[in-house]
Amino acid sequence: MSRFFLAIHVWWQTLVDAEFGRQVAELLLRTPAALGLPSASEPVATKREPMAQQPPEPSKRPQRSDALTLLATLQREARLVDFLKESIGDYSDAQIGAAVRDIHRDASGVLDRLFKIQPIETHEEGTEIQVPAEADRYRLIGTVRGAPPHRGRLVHQGWEAAKCEVPEWSGNAVASQVIAPVEVELIA
Amino acid sequence: MVAKYVIGIDLGTTNSALAYAVLGTDKPQVQVLPIPQLVAAATVEPRTLLPSFLYLAQEHEMKARSFDLLKAKGRAFVVGELARRQSAEMPDRTVLAAKSWLGHSKVDRHQPILPWNAPAEVPKISPVTASQRYLEHLADAWHAAIPDAPLAEQHVVLTVPASFDASARELTREAALAAGLPQSLVLLEEPQAALYAWLADEANRWRKQLRVGDTLLVCDIGGGTTDLTLIGVAEEAGELVLRRIAVGNHLLIGGDNMDLALAYRVAELFGEKGTKLDPWQSISLWHSCRTAKESLLAADAPKKHSIAVLGRGSKLIGKTVSVEVDREFVADLLVDGFFPKCDVQDRPIRRRTSGFQEIGLPFESDTAITRHIAEFLAQHGDPKTGPIQPTHVLFNGGVFKAQSLRTRLVETLASWSKKSPPRPLAGTMDLDHAVARGAAAYGWSKQRGGVRIRGGTARSYYVGIETSGLAIPGAPRPLRALCVVPIGMEEGTAVDVPSQEIGLVVGEPAHFRFFSSSVRKQDQPGNLLSSWNDAELTETDSLEATLPKDDSLPDSYVPVHFQSKLTELGVFELWCVGSQKKQRWKLEFSVREDAE
Repeated sequence: MSRFFLAIHVWWQTLVDAEFGRQVAELLLRTPAALGLPSASEPVATKREPMAQQPPEPSKRPQRSDALTLLATLQREARLVDFLKESIGDYSDAQIGAAVRDIHRDASGVLDRLFKIQPIETHEEGTEIQVPAEADRYRLIGTVRGAPPHRGRLVHQGWEAAKCEVPEWSGNAVASQVIAPVEVELIA
Repeated sequence: MVAKYVIGIDLGTTNSALAYAVLGTDKPQVQVLPIPQLVAAATVEPRTLLPSFLYLAQEHEMKARSFDLLKAKGRAFVVGELARRQSAEMPDRTVLAAKSWLGHSKVDRHQPILPWNAPAEVPKISPVTASQRYLEHLADAWHAAIPDAPLAEQHVVLTVPASFDASARELTREAALAAGLPQSLVLLEEPQAALYAWLADEANRWRKQLRVGDTLLVCDIGGGTTDLTLIGVAEEAGELVLRRIAVGNHLLIGGDNMDLALAYRVAELFGEKGTKLDPWQSISLWHSCRTAKESLLAADAPKKHSIAVLGRGSKLIGKTVSVEVDREFVADLLVDGFFPKCDVQDRPIRRRTSGFQEIGLPFESDTAITRHIAEFLAQHGDPKTGPIQPTHVLFNGGVFKAQSLRTRLVETLASWSKKSPPRPLAGTMDLDHAVARGAAAYGWSKQRGGVRIRGGTARSYYVGIETSGLAIPGAPRPLRALCVVPIGMEEGTAVDVPSQEIGLVVGEPAHFRFFSSSVRKQDQPGNLLSSWNDAELTETDSLEATLPKDDSLPDSYVPVHFQSKLTELGVFELWCVGSQKKQRWKLEFSVREDAE
């Protein structure tokens, strides 16, 4: 996540979640309690190592981008890379449709699980809405006149991730760019 | 250290889960813990369910260290989602349904026997060890998430099937203690846990839904097992109280049977199109069939559902084949196959197996769950008033995500009691996590107060006593069964069993055959049964005790009688008490001796 989005995310989360706000306050004050102690009311992120309070050791594991791990997940569970890499020009719509149902089901399952994607605006598209004063999650189309709040027709409800939990990858250097391994069935 | 949390653990046949609640709040706020697990080599993801599968890694996989998880490095096995996926491609190296084996007294559950029927070169493990591994995984997940509250110092509630007998519970407990769960561990029956989850969700509203005299049928159908429990609503001192009336026998039939049945038929449809499926495609078909089942049996189901099997190689679309499955086809197969309309007088069809039968798991030969329920309600009914007529039904288990199955079950129950057809309990449905959440809610109310389901033991227990008398060559001595625990014996109580004195030989292990019954409510401690039918009494692991040689004893044998005890934690203990010197010896389950 870029620092810009992180900042917006923290701002929003602080606004809507009291417990998160308390933790941010502690973090800003740099009390040791802000590091590593779970809150009583939130399910705790499971990536935390018990030794988190000490300066992190330089990791010996080769790093790989979360983007690749996400691609590997979409390929493993939904065959998304196979689908996108295949040239579909020669197939009939029915043939493509047959495959897409499964890919759609499984890929959207992955999105739900890892990102919990939800619409930002709950009003129906096409209706007239008032844009909130803090409009960072909104994109205004057309000429902006006068001071906020602005009113307008909702064109797209927007999407946002309620969480971001890309699997953690810990493989070795040779495998770090692999999205799907070669599969070989051994001859008996 | 004072416990800060209560933890509920659902050690399931196909999926396990962990839920927890902080003790220092006014109301239980139960959370489900995400469990980090390997989903592919070197890839760890948290999921709310831990599939109860264990994959035994091969040499090259261990060397590659692709199965490191949290602090565990270089492990020779994997638990969870990756293991579940491996069960398709590497069935010989994957342990599944360890819990069903735990409740199966025909095999030695301490011996490395799983994966069942695996070739000799596969390193096997025992059902107890496999269960321990699943619980260790959950414990590791807990410690990684909440490092300042060691699991061994918290209040932990672990669920077991209501149909588990004392010996299967003892083995579960053994696996749990080996996995580092605290000695104060409490075992709770799964259908009760499901009801606690409902009670916690409903808070105080439940008193409006239930009345005195109501009877609840908890129907818990998991991946591999069906567990039935009846709970009655009574009144004590002006308060509604819940009392468990009866539990059903261990039925090895569940949602996986349905998905497999559908997958089998759909594979035939593919076969007609000339497509032969490989193992990977079979498991993906199984997955698709589960979705098709939920979609076609939903309330507003489409008429048809397309089931596709994607091409195996990287060329996906070109090799994809699909078949259309009708709603009626699936309804006939699953609703009528597993929940056929039947009469309350109907009974499950038990095929007699001839000759040698493989020792493997005793799967039910009749898949009609409705007939099993009819039998259960009749067994616990009154001879005068007929089978029990439940007023409410609580569904649990992933199977009931399918609306048609819920509807069919309610309709069938209604046809059995036309005057007051049972209603499903309204409330939030979280069929996958209810047992774990209910276990945590129970633990919370045990510590902080709240409604509890009472009922004591679900089964009565008997010790086999050989009658003395003239021996007839070639014929075993007649066996009698001495009741040592009645149905409904409360936790934290002990009973001296009145009986004639039994002579125990000193310095040699003494064996007692051991039986249980979930239906003989009339038996009291000391009752001696000289005949019974096989459906009433089930033999389980025998008990043994070795009395040490003691020079102060005048004879080579000691006259004793039995004392049975049910601890506060629900652990069953049977003691031999010496009549003269008031010495006591505890009888232990001799699981090993009974294996065939």
